[in-house]
Amino acid sequence: MGDILFILLILGITFFTGSIIEKRHFDNIKKREIALFRQPIINFGAKTWNTNRKIKKIELVTGEAVISGDYFKNFVAGLKNFFGGRLTTFESVLDRGRREAILRMREKARGANFIVNTRIESIMLNDTYMQETVPQCAIIAYGTAITYE
Amino acid sequence: MNKNLEEKYLKNIEDNVNVGQSNAGIEFIILIAGISAIFGLLYIFADAIGVFFIDRMSNETQMKIENAFSLGIKPKTYAKNNNIIKLENIRNKIVSLDKNLQGKSKFPIYIVSDKNINAFITPNGQIFFTKGIMAEVKDEEVLTFVMAHELGHYAHRDHLKSMSRQIIVSVISTIFTSGNNDISLTLDSISDLNGLTYSRKQEREADRYANRVVYKLYGRNTGAVEFFKLLQKKEKAPEFLQYFSTHPSTSQRLELIQQER
Repeated sequence: MGDILFILLILGITFFTGSIIEKRHFDNIKKREIALFRQPIINFGAKTWNTNRKIKKIELVTGEAVISGDYFKNFVAGLKNFFGGRLTTFESVLDRGRREAILRMREKARGANFIVNTRIESIMLNDTYMQETVPQCAIIAYGTAITYE
Repeated sequence: MNKNLEEKYLKNIEDNVNVGQSNAGIEFIILIAGISAIFGLLYIFADAIGVFFIDRMSNETQMKIENAFSLGIKPKTYAKNNNIIKLENIRNKIVSLDKNLQGKSKFPIYIVSDKNINAFITPNGQIFFTKGIMAEVKDEEVLTFVMAHELGHYAHRDHLKSMSRQIIVSVISTIFTSGNNDISLTLDSISDLNGLTYSRKQEREADRYANRVVYKLYGRNTGAVEFFKLLQKKEKAPEFLQYFSTHPSTSQRLELIQQER
């Protein structure tokens, strides 16, 4: 009988901690996005890019983020897995990962004028063949930062 | 950059279309409610099957199943003392009253050294009384009530019924949930709670049975009422804990036997 109370307790605790952490992360992301408002402009998908101005520096910039869902999120997703439907608890995790990765890339490219040829990719950190894997969202964003003279 | 574009960008940061707006907590409650509903239907189905077949089962089949289950259970035999002889007399009286109990197990009686006030019956009809109950209870009427309660479980085939529903439900739920840890964890919890509710129902039935037997033999149940009052005094657990227990709370059982006749 203790099991049920124990599981409910864990679910309750992780629900509150998870939502507090998520809210703080979103606030943090918003603040940084507004702060980086006029910083390097991202140019997605340009295979070739031409300019007449003289270029001082070309550099590879990357940003990575690995975000994990909490126990409650994983549990709800596991239940959803049975019925099907949108995994809303993981949507926020993916969104946080993507925005965090892009933000880090842009922060790394401070002082540059452009980031061209940006790509965003998700990667697996887990061993996919193992049974017990940590559900996580690993995102890597990379591009070429260009600084004019 | 013009001002409109700036505002648009800031607004984009504020409202995010990529994240679902629904509350995860509410979603969780809806999911749990849905699973419980499906699982409840499954239990009703399993109950119907179990009751249908088990009530029609012949005595020989019942004995066969019971012996297969209780192959290993063989308690240490004690020398026959006065207590056991007293209990055997009571047992013979009850068995002669009910046709459901005749021609099955011989209902051997054992006394186990345990300080708690308790008695139980194994699936193949061996009855155990603790030393605690023998020391505490001297009144024959109360012992009759306790004995009739245990024999009532056997007469109703409660052990077979609870076993069959558990087997049916676990087979079906394993087929559907194989490989999904979270859902099997949820189902286990629900089935635990459901099993406890079912067990409490069986206990109430056994109490009713015992009450009828006591009335038939003595014409009153004051002894049993006194016994439950004694237990109530000793009990320290709060009332709500009964929902996590195999037996109803003592005060509820007291109320039940006071109302029944």
